[in-house]
Amino acid sequence: MSKKQSSSPKRTHVVKRESGWAVKKEGAKRATKVYQTKEEAVKGAQKDRDSGSDVVIHKKDGSIQKWEKSKKK
Amino acid sequence: MKFETNIFINCPFDKDYFPLLKPLLYVIKRIGFNPRISLERSDSGEVRLHKIQELIESSKYSIHDLSRSKAKKVGEYFRQNMPFELGLDLGCKNYKKGNKNKKILILEEEKYSVQKALSDLSFADCKCHEGKSIELIYAIRDWFAENGIKDVPSGSALWDDYNTFYADLYVEKLKIGFKPKDIDRITMTEFMRFIDENLK
Repeated sequence: MSKKQSSSPKRTHVVKRESGWAVKKEGAKRATKVYQTKEEAVKGAQKDRDSGSDVVIHKKDGSIQKWEKSKKK
Repeated sequence: MKFETNIFINCPFDKDYFPLLKPLLYVIKRIGFNPRISLERSDSGEVRLHKIQELIESSKYSIHDLSRSKAKKVGEYFRQNMPFELGLDLGCKNYKKGNKNKKILILEEEKYSVQKALSDLSFADCKCHEGKSIELIYAIRDWFAENGIKDVPSGSALWDDYNTFYADLYVEKLKIGFKPKDIDRITMTEFMRFIDENLK
């Protein structure tokens, strides 16, 4: 079954990786960057937030820890 | 529902296991299969054992997670439902005519723990998820690929899809008045329905 493309505004996800935490723009094939810690990844995702993306911070099981709205109106 | 795409899921259904059960259900549906769990319908008039038998007999594939069978504290009983249902499934595969091609996956949290507790299964190929959602997704996709299912996405693609799916679920449920804490507590029936809608 194929994955439906989300129709929501731009989102950047902070997601668990085997070797740390990744910042990944939704729809991108690869992560922007993988960080050693979640704190670093959340910090790294703020650039996307400044440029118009919501930042979705996931827990290690994939559920949502926090949803930070874009700073750009 | 087709025998060829049905997958019987034998695992605990308590909230401690939901962080593994949810990605398990998502990945199975995402790859195009149909998970069958005893929670899919709620009828208190139905004898549980009969329901389990029906699910086993109607599924070509099955996934048995024995990782939570072990008692966690002194005085707690060993949980026998999961090994019992695995036994029923192995019986169905070996003694019921036409079922030799059933495919069975056994999951464990620590490597070789199943063989330590159930030495009759020393022949079995078990996969280990270490109690982590991401490792579980990799284990399931590898099992599909090993069983000849074509074009199975990579583990990391499936994991990213699952995270995106969860964000979609979050947005949709907030829209209809859910609080964030309620979203993680939705029933498995609702969760499975949302997966179907999301993958349409």
